[in-house]
This record gives sequence, C-alpha cells and structure tokens, in this order.
Amino acid sequence: MRGVTGAFHELDTTVAAIEDLKKKRLGDVTVYSPTIRHELDHAIDAPVSVVRRFTLVGGLLGVSFGYWIAIWSSNYWPLVVGGKAFASWIPYTIIGFEVMVLVGALSTVAGMFINSRIPRLTTTTGYDARFSGGYFGIFIACDAAKADQAEALLRQHGAAEVRREA
Amino acid sequence: MTTEAGTGVKRREFLKILGATGATTAVVGCSSEKVGKLIPYVTSPDNTVPGVSQYYATSCRECAAACGVLAEVRDGRPIKLEGNPEHPLNRGAICATGLAGIQGLYNPDRYRSPMVREGNALKPTTWDKAYELLAQKLGEVKSKGQAGNVVFVNQHETGTFPGFLDQWLKEQGMPAHLSVDSTAPIATIAANQKAYGTAWPALNFSAAKLVVSFGADFLDGWGHSVPQQLDWADARSKLDVAPRLIYIGARRSLTGLNADQWIAAKAGSEMAICAALAGTGSAAAAAEAANVPVATIEALVKAVADAGNGIMALCGVTGNDAVECGVMVAEINKKGGAVGTTINTAKAHGSYTGLASYADLAAAVKNMDAGTVPLAFVRGANPAHTMPKSAGFAAAFAKVAFKVSFSSMPDETAQMADLVLPDNHWLESWGDAVGENGQISLQQPTLDPVFDTRSTSDVLIDLAKKDQALAAKYNVADFRTWYISKFPGGASGFATALTKASVAGAPLVATTTRTLAATATPVAEGAGDFFVQVYPSPTLGDGAGANKPWLQELPDPVTKIAWQSWIEVHPSTAKKLGIKEGAHLTIETAAGKVTAPAYIYMGVRADTVGIALGQGHTAYGRFAQNIGVNAYDLVSHGWDSAGGLAIGSVKGKVTVSADSSPLVTTEGSARQHGRGIAQAMTLAALLGQEAEDEHGHHNIPGLPSQDFRTGLKAPIAADAQGEYANPLAKDKGMYDAGHSSKMESRRWAMTIDLARCTGCSACVTACYSENNIPTVGAPYQGRALSPVTWDERPGANIIKGREMAWLRIERYYEGNENTENEFSPDFETRFVAMMCQHCGNAPCEPVCPVYATYHSPDGLNVQVYNRCVGTRYCSNNCPYKVRYFNWFGYGEPERRQYAWPEPMHWGLNPDVTVRGKGVMEKCSFCVQRIREAEHRARAEDRDLNPDEFTVACAQACASRAIIFGDAADENWTVSKLAYDRRAYHVFEELNAYTAVVYLKKVNYPAPAAPATA
Amino acid sequence: MASVAHPVREGIRGPNIASADVQLPAVRDYEQVDRDIIATLGFTKKWFLGLSVAVLAMLIGASSWIYQIYWGLGQAGYEPPVMWGNYIITFVFWVGIGHAGTLISAILYLFRAGFRTSIYRAAEAMTVFAVMTAGLFPIIHIGRPWKFFWLIPYPNWRLLWPNFKSPLVWDVFAISTYLTISTTFLFIGLIPDIAVLRDKETNPMRKRILSILSLGWRNSDREWRHFAKAYLFLAAFSTPLVLSVHSVVSFDFAMALTPGWHASIFPPYFVAGAIFSGFAMVWTIAIPMRKWFKLEHYITLNHLDATAKVVLFTSLVVGSAYLIEFFIAWYSSVRAEQEFFWNRVFGQWWWAAWTLLLCNMAMPMSLWSQKLRRNPTWLFILSLFINLGMWFERFVIVVPSLSHEFEPWQWGHYTVSWVDMSFLVGSFGWFFMWFLLFVKQLPVMAIAELKEIVAPRMKHGHGHGHDHHHAGGHE
Repeated sequence: MRGVTGAFHELDTTVAAIEDLKKKRLGDVTVYSPTIRHELDHAIDAPVSVVRRFTLVGGLLGVSFGYWIAIWSSNYWPLVVGGKAFASWIPYTIIGFEVMVLVGALSTVAGMFINSRIPRLTTTTGYDARFSGGYFGIFIACDAAKADQAEALLRQHGAAEVRREA
Repeated sequence: MTTEAGTGVKRREFLKILGATGATTAVVGCSSEKVGKLIPYVTSPDNTVPGVSQYYATSCRECAAACGVLAEVRDGRPIKLEGNPEHPLNRGAICATGLAGIQGLYNPDRYRSPMVREGNALKPTTWDKAYELLAQKLGEVKSKGQAGNVVFVNQHETGTFPGFLDQWLKEQGMPAHLSVDSTAPIATIAANQKAYGTAWPALNFSAAKLVVSFGADFLDGWGHSVPQQLDWADARSKLDVAPRLIYIGARRSLTGLNADQWIAAKAGSEMAICAALAGTGSAAAAAEAANVPVATIEALVKAVADAGNGIMALCGVTGNDAVECGVMVAEINKKGGAVGTTINTAKAHGSYTGLASYADLAAAVKNMDAGTVPLAFVRGANPAHTMPKSAGFAAAFAKVAFKVSFSSMPDETAQMADLVLPDNHWLESWGDAVGENGQISLQQPTLDPVFDTRSTSDVLIDLAKKDQALAAKYNVADFRTWYISKFPGGASGFATALTKASVAGAPLVATTTRTLAATATPVAEGAGDFFVQVYPSPTLGDGAGANKPWLQELPDPVTKIAWQSWIEVHPSTAKKLGIKEGAHLTIETAAGKVTAPAYIYMGVRADTVGIALGQGHTAYGRFAQNIGVNAYDLVSHGWDSAGGLAIGSVKGKVTVSADSSPLVTTEGSARQHGRGIAQAMTLAALLGQEAEDEHGHHNIPGLPSQDFRTGLKAPIAADAQGEYANPLAKDKGMYDAGHSSKMESRRWAMTIDLARCTGCSACVTACYSENNIPTVGAPYQGRALSPVTWDERPGANIIKGREMAWLRIERYYEGNENTENEFSPDFETRFVAMMCQHCGNAPCEPVCPVYATYHSPDGLNVQVYNRCVGTRYCSNNCPYKVRYFNWFGYGEPERRQYAWPEPMHWGLNPDVTVRGKGVMEKCSFCVQRIREAEHRARAEDRDLNPDEFTVACAQACASRAIIFGDAADENWTVSKLAYDRRAYHVFEELNAYTAVVYLKKVNYPAPAAPATA
Repeated sequence: MASVAHPVREGIRGPNIASADVQLPAVRDYEQVDRDIIATLGFTKKWFLGLSVAVLAMLIGASSWIYQIYWGLGQAGYEPPVMWGNYIITFVFWVGIGHAGTLISAILYLFRAGFRTSIYRAAEAMTVFAVMTAGLFPIIHIGRPWKFFWLIPYPNWRLLWPNFKSPLVWDVFAISTYLTISTTFLFIGLIPDIAVLRDKETNPMRKRILSILSLGWRNSDREWRHFAKAYLFLAAFSTPLVLSVHSVVSFDFAMALTPGWHASIFPPYFVAGAIFSGFAMVWTIAIPMRKWFKLEHYITLNHLDATAKVVLFTSLVVGSAYLIEFFIAWYSSVRAEQEFFWNRVFGQWWWAAWTLLLCNMAMPMSLWSQKLRRNPTWLFILSLFINLGMWFERFVIVVPSLSHEFEPWQWGHYTVSWVDMSFLVGSFGWFFMWFLLFVKQLPVMAIAELKEIVAPRMKHGHGHGHDHHHAGGHE
C-alpha cells in the first residue's frame, strides 16, 4: 500500500497533525503510539469498539451452557445423592457463572483479535520500530499525487522524519 | 430367633445335598500343588456350580466346645464359616475364634510337608521317609521295652479320635495320651464334679434372677462362650425381669463390664466372701479380706438370699485354693436351691471328658527332665509357649531322645521336634465331637489338604500297617473308612448323620477318663506391692489364635488394643507413680518378669495390674512372632488340688521405665462427651416410673429432636433440602415407585439392641471374613519413615488410625470422672456397634465429585469402588466416621502391605471386590447377600420372604443384638423393632435419617447396693 | 493521584517518593522506561543460582510424587479421621496467593487505583504460577491421581458425568477458569510490551520468536481501541471471578457438616484471607526485585505504602472473622462446635492456632505506623510471617476440625511425614522456577502502561500528561 509515514517526537504536534489531516481528507490515517493517550483518541475520534458485543454474546452462551450441561446430565443419569433434587438449580449457578466467565472472556479476546486484525505476522506498511518506543507515528494511505501534499503537511507540523511508502 | 427361621429355608436346601457331597468333597478340593491359575472345570464335579456356594455342616475345633459350623465352599474352597442354625449348642451363632478358623486353614506359615531335623534346622522330607524314620524309632523304643515311658500330649478335644488314639497307644504298649487345654478352667471342672457330679452343667440364665460371678468370665472364654452368650443375651432381653449380674474380682473383664455391679474384691479374697454368703463367715471379715465396704458385702448377702433359687453363682477363680473356692460357690447355689433351676445338671456338656490337668502334664515334663522319656509326641498343644518358664518344659523336652510333632504350624514346640508330621486342619479332616452329653456332631473335610499334610488319625493307621503285629487290626484305607465301618447304621447311617448338625450318640471309642485331682503344689504369693492378674486373652486365648491376623487385628473387647501386649494399671495408681499411657512398665514376680506399655484402665483395683496371655511368641509364624510378651513368664509352676495351674493371686513388683511406645488402640476418646452415641435408659424409665434421662431424645442441648422414623419410611428421606423427585426429571429411573425393579418399595435397615450386645466383637471378624477386609497391622505393613527405613512396629498402621474395620465396637464409659484421684468400682460401660448408617440423606453422597457414592433406590448408601478417585471428602463429611480408605495396595501381592499372602487369598469371598489402592470403602449392608437373595427369589418367581436372609454380622452375633431387614415391609422383624420405645438414632439432630436404629441399653440399679447408699 | 499516599512531610522529593500528582518523579521519558525495563532482562550468575535451587526443590517434590504413587497415599502423614492434610492445606495456601495478581490487575484497575501500574505485571505472573502450583495439589492429594480427569465433564462412551452438586466439581470449574482467564489476562497485557522487545531486539532468531509472540502488534490506533475495550471487559470478568474462586474453595469446607467448617462466614473470610496472603507474597517477591533490578523509582515507597494499607485492612477483616467464628460457636450452643473451638485454641493444636493469630492478627497491626508502612525491610520480614501465618490458618481449618469431629471414639491426631514436607518444598521450587524463568524473558513491568503515567514530550509547554481522570486508565 502506498502512502506517507511521519514520525513525531512530541504528543501535541502529533495531535495537531492528525486534526489537520482529517480536515484535508488526503486518505485513511493510521496513528501509531507507544501507549494509549487520550489526546490521540480525541483527535482520531473513532467509533466505540464492537468488542463488547462479543463479550455479551459469549457470556450469554457460557451461562446457558453451564446450566444446561449440569441440569441435563443430572436428569439424563438420575442418581440421588443426599436426598437432593436430581437437578439442583441453586448450586448449579456456580457452574453457570464460571462457564459464563470462561466463554465470555475468551470470546472477548477473540473479538479483540478479529477486530484489530491480529495475529498478523507480515510487516506493515507505514510501521516503524520507533513507534513502540518513544515516537508517535502517522501513516496516510494515498497515491503519489496526494503524497506530496501529505508529506508537506507532516513536515509543517514538525515531524522528526517523513518517509514515502511504495 | 428370626435370623435362624429366616435362613432356614435356604439351609435345609443345601443340608439335603450334604450327604452326597460329603463323599465328593475330596474330589472338589484342590491343593496348592495343583493350582497354577484359575481354570473353570471342564467337567465339574457333582453338585458344584461355579459361582454358587455349597455349605458343609461340620464341627468347629478351635476350642473344646465344638460348635456346629457351616463351611461356605465356593468352587472347592471354603471361604467362610457360619454357625449352624440347627446345632443345639450354638444355634447359628459363632465366635471370632471360630470364624478365624479359615485363616488357620490358609495360613501361609503352615508346614507344607513333613519336616525332619537335620542339625539345627527342620528340613522338608517325604511322607515315606518320615514313616520309615518313625517306624524305626517306634521299633527301637518297643524293643528296648521303653514304650511305657512314651509321652503323647494332645490338644484337648472330644469325640472319637482321643479314644482311637488311646487304643493305638495301648496297642503300642504306650500309656494313654495327655489331653491338655491350658485355658480350660480345671479348678471349676473339678469343683463341678464334686458339687454337681458333672463337669459342666448347662447354665440356665433365663431362670436366674441374680448371677454372681467370682471371676467367671462366661462371656469371654470361661466355659463355652457362644452358648453361654446366647442364653445370657436372651435372658437379658427380658429387660425388666432380666437376670442381674454382680461381678466379683480384682479386674473387670468383658463379663465384668457387662455386669450391673462390680465388687472389686482383692485377689484371693473370694473364699472369705463365699464364707459370708454361706453364713460360715462374717461380712466384716469378708469385707476386710476383700478390702470393700462392709455394707456392700451385707447387701450382697441379702441380694443372694432374696434371689432364692434364682441365684446362679459361678466361680472362675484360679489360685491355690481354687477348687475349694469353687465348691463353696457351688454350695451357694445348692443353698439357694438353684441346682435344677439355674444350674441344669441334667443337660451337662461333655466337652471336658478326658481332660488332663496341668499337674499331669507337669509330671510328664518331670519324666522328660529325668531323661527317661525315649519318645514324645505333641499334637496341637504348644506347651513350650503355654507353660510357665519355671516349669522348664523347653529344657526337659530337649532331653527327650526323639520328639515328634503333629502340629501343622511351626509353633515353639514343633520347632524343637526331630520330626514333624503336619496334621490336617480340621476343615481338611474327618472326625466327630461331643457337644451336649449324648450328642455328637460330625466333622467332614471341606477341601483336599491345602498343603502336603495328613490327618494324624490316618498317620496312626499308616504306621500301624507298617507293624506286622498290628497290620491286621488296621486293615482299612484310612480313618474315614474305619469310622464309617464302626458308625451305627454303617455308610447309610453315616450319610444321614452327616446331613444333621448334631445327632444322638457317643464317640465310637471312649477315651480314658481322668479324675482331676492332684496333691496341690501351692504357689508362693511372692513379694511386691501389686497383685498381678494374668488372664487369657478373649481374642487370642493362650496364644493359639496369635497366628491369625483377623484375631490379632480384632481389638481386645475391653482395652481395644490389638497386635500388642499391655499392662493395665488403675488411673490413680498411674497418677501416683507418674505413669503415662504407653510408658514401659516392668512386672517382676517370683517366676520372672515382662515389660510392656501401660494401659490406664479404671477396671482394675488400684493394687492390681492386669496382663493378658496370648502374645510373646518366639515362633508360630509371621503374624505371631516377636509381638508383645508372654505373660506365662510371670506365672509360677504350681497347681491347685485339681492340678490346675494356679495363676491367680500372684504378687509382683512394678517398675516404670523412661521410654514408652504408642498403644496400638482403635480408641479415640472413651467418653461420649454427651453426644448420645450409646444411649441408655434406667429401669425406672423403662417402667415409666421416671422421665428419660438426658440421653433421651435431646442428644445435644439446644437442638430439637427430629422424628427419625422418616428415614425408615422411604429409601430416600425427603426433608427441608427439597424433594428428590424433581418435577423437571421426566424419568426418575429406578427411583420411580412404578419401576419394574420394585426397589423403591424397600428400605434396608438394621436394629442394634444395646441391651443385648456384650461387646464380644464376633461381628467384626464376621465382617472381615465376608467382605474381604484387609488386616493392616502386621509388622511389615507399615509406611516408610524415610526413603529407606520402614515403620516395622506391629500395628504401625493402626497407631495411625488406619484400621479398615467396616464395623467397629465402640466402648464408652459413663461415670467415674474422678477416677485418677480415687478408686471407685462404680462405672458403666456401653458397647455400641458402629458401621455405615446408610443415611436417607447421606452427607457423604453429594460431596463426591464422581458419584462414586450415591443412594440406591432400596435405601442403600452405595460405594462404587471402580468409580472412586479417592478425594476422601465423603469421609470428612461422615459424622459417624465409618468410611475407610485404602492407604496402601493391601490387595496387591507385590506390595509389602499385601494382606492375604498366598494361600490366604483362597479364603477371599469371590462375591466381594478386593479394593484397590486409593479408593474409599465402607459397610455395604452385605449388598452381595441382598442381591443373592433377590436373584434367588426372582429365579423362584416369588417375592422375598420376611427375614429370608441376613447380613454377616447379624448372622454371627451370639447376642442376637443385630437384626437386619426391610424396614418398609412390616413383616420383617426389623420393622417391628425399629418402632420399639427404646429406639433412637445416633446424631439424630443432623437429619441424616439413618437406616440403623439403636435400641437403648437398660441400666439396672446395683443389685447389691448398700442400704445406706 | 488520589490513591497514592501523600509523602511523610510535604516538600520531600526523591527518586522513590512520589507526590499526589507525580507517580514516578524519577522517570523522565518513554525511552528511559524502555531502557530501564529491558535492562532487567540480562541473565546473571545469581539468577542461574536461584533457578538451579528452585529446580532442585521441584525435583525433590516430583520424585516423592512418583514414590507416593507407587506405594500409595499411606506414605503421607494422614491419620484417619484426618483424611485431608498437608496437600489440601498447601492447595488452599497457593490458591490464596494466586488472588493478589488478578485483584491488583483487575479490581484496582476498575477502581482506577494508580499504584497498581508498576506492580501488576509481577503480581499477575505470580498469580498464574501460584495457580499452576495450587492446581497440582488436588491431583497429588487424591487416591488415584491417574483418574483425575473423571472430575471433568467430558463426553465418554460410559455416559458417566461428574456430580455437579459436589464442591470439588465446583473447584474444578473455578480453578480451571481462573487459571485460563488470568493467563489470558497476563498475555493480553504482555502483547504491546513484547512488541517493544521485538522492536528493540537485534538477534534475528529472538526477534522472530518475539514477533510471533507479539502477534504482529503494531501500536496502531485501531489495535489500541479494541485492546482497551477488551482489557476493560476482561477486568470486569476477572473481578467477580477472583471473588468467586476463593468462595468456591471455601465451599469445600463450608458445605461440610464438620464442626469448624460448617460456617456461612467462610466465603468472605476466605477471600479476604486470600487477598491478605496474596499481597504478602507480592511483597516477598517485589521488594527484593525492586532492589536487585534497580526499580526503586518504579515501585516507589508510596506504592508499598498503598499495598500496606490493603494488607492492614484485610488483616482486620480476617481477624474479625476469626473472632466471629468463636462467637458463633458459643452462640450456636451446639456442643460439638463449642468443644471444637475450645479445642482449637487450647487443645492439642493450640500452638498452630496461636501462630496464626500472632502472624495474621497481631503483627500486621504494626502497619498502622506510616514509618513501617514505608520501610521495605520491615514489609519484607512481615510478608514472610504472614505467609507462614496463612499456611497455618489453613492448617488450623483442616486438621483440628477433622481430628475432633462428632464421633469421640474416632478423635485422632495428625503428623506430617517426610513425603508431605518434600511436596511443600517442591511446590515452592515449582513456583519460583516458573517465576525466575519469567522475569528474565519478559518485562516484569508493563512498559506500555508505565508510559501512560510518564509525561510525554511536548513542543509547546507542559502537556497534561498525568491528569487525574486518565492516568492508569486505558479508554
């Protein structure tokens, strides 16, 4: 994918650059940051993550399976212990709860993986090793025509380094 | 009694076939040589169906009483002994010693062939060689004209064999044999003969109002325990009109613990008390001699007088004046006119006919010592262990030119012999026994000899055949043919007699009768400030039982100690001398000294120490060797005027040593702490004259009592926790009332009558036998103390509480809280049998993660060994603590903890799994018997008959205290007893709704309570 | 940061004394964070020594397990009716320790407790390894360990299922869920940090492995967005999970009739105890670590101070639970209960009871003093005593209760055997083996999260890098 990458050393300049780029609409902007900064979140202003849906569905599936396996197996193989009901609902809540947590949490992780496209083992255009260290990065996916414009903009905002990705 | 009636049907069935099978058993049996691995019969012998038991009626020879037993034989191997319900003597009951006969038969340490001495060791040889050698020796002796000096010592037994033996000896020109029994109450027998003209009159407890026992332990070894216990328990079950028991003696034995009053008379003071009772002596003098309050003696005199002809005075005294004392005691009965009522001379017991006294044996030993005995035979008896050291048997026996032993166990005496001709076990041989006078019960083999042994009777015949002079006389194949030929009615008569438990008749050859009389050789009382009470162990006797792990593992009914010797001291004495439990004490008497750990017991006088016989074997096999001490070492070589060994009234010094060892006991706390486990009610309460005591329905203060019967109405008790019949469960399977198995309509339950139970513990051994319970106390069965060293103390596992007894007898004391400060004879003992209670709401069930224990539709708390993973949570949650865990591979032959060394595993019950390492086990209510009965009923297309069968413990119980059955069906006895007014459940307040119902013990006021008190 | 204590005296500043608004005063920029943390990864002689000791101890435990399986459980010290012993005690001990990690990473995360940031990674790793250790003991403890899988509901041709009414099956679910989730939680948090290592790595082989482990994480805004949400929900799940796990463990006892076990106070009491012991173990690990790895300016005295307050609080909770048990026993007027509790403090096990009361109730009271709260040496010593005390707490719950139940005839004793002891040693070996391997392979502090509480570079003046409503928070 073609585009331009800019590495910034300061947070505020990065933020400014992002806001400016969004106005210019030169292309999709990807922001790389060593850590989470709410300033960036504000600047990017992305929709709320859909991971929570995975969590909800997973949790519901889990709790129902937990109850089901306990109740079904007790009735399927009826054995009286301690004069209690074959299927004793109250204690089975524990099973239901634990399975809810298990499935819910795992599907949350699955949701995160799917949505953020990991695991991915190929190198990514526009990524630079510094972005996990002390630098913030901005990558604008655009064709050569818009590239000059983007490059200029990044430099103007004080990018420590700008690179053409081909 | 219900159990007999119930089993009757089944019994008659097989008793029919016995006549036929008797002859074929020899074919069926198989011996160790032949058996490599288990292969089903290609053509099975007559009347054998693989997997189906046959029952052979025979006679128990473990003691002189000779009860009738049924040997359960499975595929040619006896696996269990049961009392013969049709035998007039034991009426279906059996004692622990009898049950353990199986372990005598399959004992791994038995001689496996004849043995001959080469240098210092006995080497195996062949029967031909052995015969040759012995025939030659016999020849020499006879040619030298020394036959008259030959000694033949035989373990006392009744029946034809002793006579047959005497006949044989006579023909060899040898004197009649000595029929010895070191535990026989010789003084009492002599006194009986003097007073009643018979050795052993029947004791009719039902006619008695008051039983006064002068150290006569009629419930633990004195006389014939089983029949005595049967009659005693039946009499006691009359509750308010039951006979009362006063026990007089320095130590409270098992019989003493069952007494309503203990008069702790100083040893040797019995004569004075008798004098007071006879009116020839003053109460004051008696009290002085006995060191008890005068008031007590006066009350005793009054009580005896009041009893009239309901008095039964029994004497078990052993001492210099034992015979005189016995006669005086008999006088009490005569004076009360009790002869004919409580003392039934018409129905006398023949088991002591021909008994030789200790003095007779001593005389023989003297001759041996003089070196005049060229040849000595010993059979069964083990004088090297059962005679006091001071008798010098070992030295004397060593001087005998040629010593022959017929013992089948390598006991101390046999180990000294020059030639061992191992006898068959009684389950391998033919014979007969005298029960009640005029009655004989036959004895038949139940399998081919396990080892290369021969029954002595056959050996005698074989030897006679080798002698031209006698060959003609003994022109028979073996003893059996000889016996049948002589038997009234011949073969057919014999065949019919075999099917009977007991028939009218007499031994075919009478044995030489002896009168028990000798010039008394009094024992010096000796120095020392303690009286030493030496008594035969209720479980091991004089030591004959010590080679059977079941008997070693069975805790002594009084002290609850197993696999060990102990010395009993009174708490106050212990406090005075600073003796802690387990501290090593040394008793030193004129005769010798022994050292054993102390057991603090409030049932001995403060001036008395008690020690049991039975242990201290230096030979006699892996289970007996090097365990405990031999208390005979304390006994002096002297006898009373009947020639009975004078054990009683010996004094000795007691010294405390610094070192100590833990007691091998199954006892946790001897007090109930008000938990209401063994409950009792006073006679007054029984008669409704007073309210029930605090052990009534409120076991634990603050908790309401439940209606425990709920647990007996239905297999599963529905309670506050919810109804098991969950509406969501469409199919309740076998729990549906409508299910074809009809299981849901049953509730297997049990009642245990504490008023009957004497604590004899036969039920425990019966359970071991029926359910393949491993014994864990053998010295080699311990755990590793480090990666290389092992805990090789006898009973190491039991010290760690790892005994496996599914059924245990708990012995709780009541009263006498201040006993370590002052001696008091007034305490009460309660015996309670505790096994899985098969709770309706079993706490153990819901906690098992894998359903290894669950509730069967017929109310059993089932344990599935194969499913068990061994979390042991069930045991933690069991309030009764009746679940047992397999800590080691007791069933794995390659492990040192293996409980059934070859060929002992032949005695295992094939109907019951041998549990593997790491699984939990517990009482199953003999589920294999339940299912067997159900299958039999189904095969015969009928319902179970009430009391049709019973469980092993109930079957053995001579007190008839345990009744088993279906509580949901009112036709079963158990369902009637469960609603008795004495009925209660243990830990009722836990809402477990148990299936075991206990009937309260009844406590009677002390019969000889001082008027002032 | 509200949750960080104010310094002893205003005005004092130093590398490891934070103020209310500056958590890590001695950390200047992102690069320093990378440098300092990566610096901890180099192998050292001391480390190899420690690891070999741990492995040796682990082998002792392993070999005695083989020995025990061959001979049977009889080699352990069990004395019926004491059917549970050292193994269950040690199981509960390690599960308890396994609670601090998730508590710190999840609950404190939801509570926005800023002081978690620098300790949670180590604590989380500790949790995972503690649970791995604990998980072994139920298997070691059962009679037929090779049949352990029967407790797990799996479809099988025999159509057999476990008994879902049994607390032990609840355990299986709780513990296995907990292990899975806390491992996942740990790994998810590690992903960005592994990415950091990957990008700093020069050795191609290691770089390859690291890039696989990092799942190709690229710090893009999309990744961070979903990461933050996922992390939040994981925390939201872990929080009740932590509370449930030790409650379920406590059910093993509370659901039984046994006097001394049959108490409804157990779940909260066990959870508090778990957090208590967990934090103690965090000290045992973090205090030497911050010294050896030169991380004093990351784990500052304020952080220790804050954890000390948690310990003090939980100690009070646990202490009152002890006392309430005695009250209830008296109040119930159930004789068995009363006799048991009397026996607990004055019976054959008095010494164990008093040890735990001293270590868990008395000694933590020293934490009322701020001086001691901010004294790492004392906290370390105290942590050892608390660990001891908590082991004895479980001992006192398990052994005396079983040895003194309803049936006096079956009252018994208990002594641990050399096999029991070697398992105890082995468990520590096993635990520290994993932990030592961890600290030299992966960052013991969350690099990415530390950067959140470090001021980022700004061109125009000082940014609001660490203002209250954000630091420590991911969204």
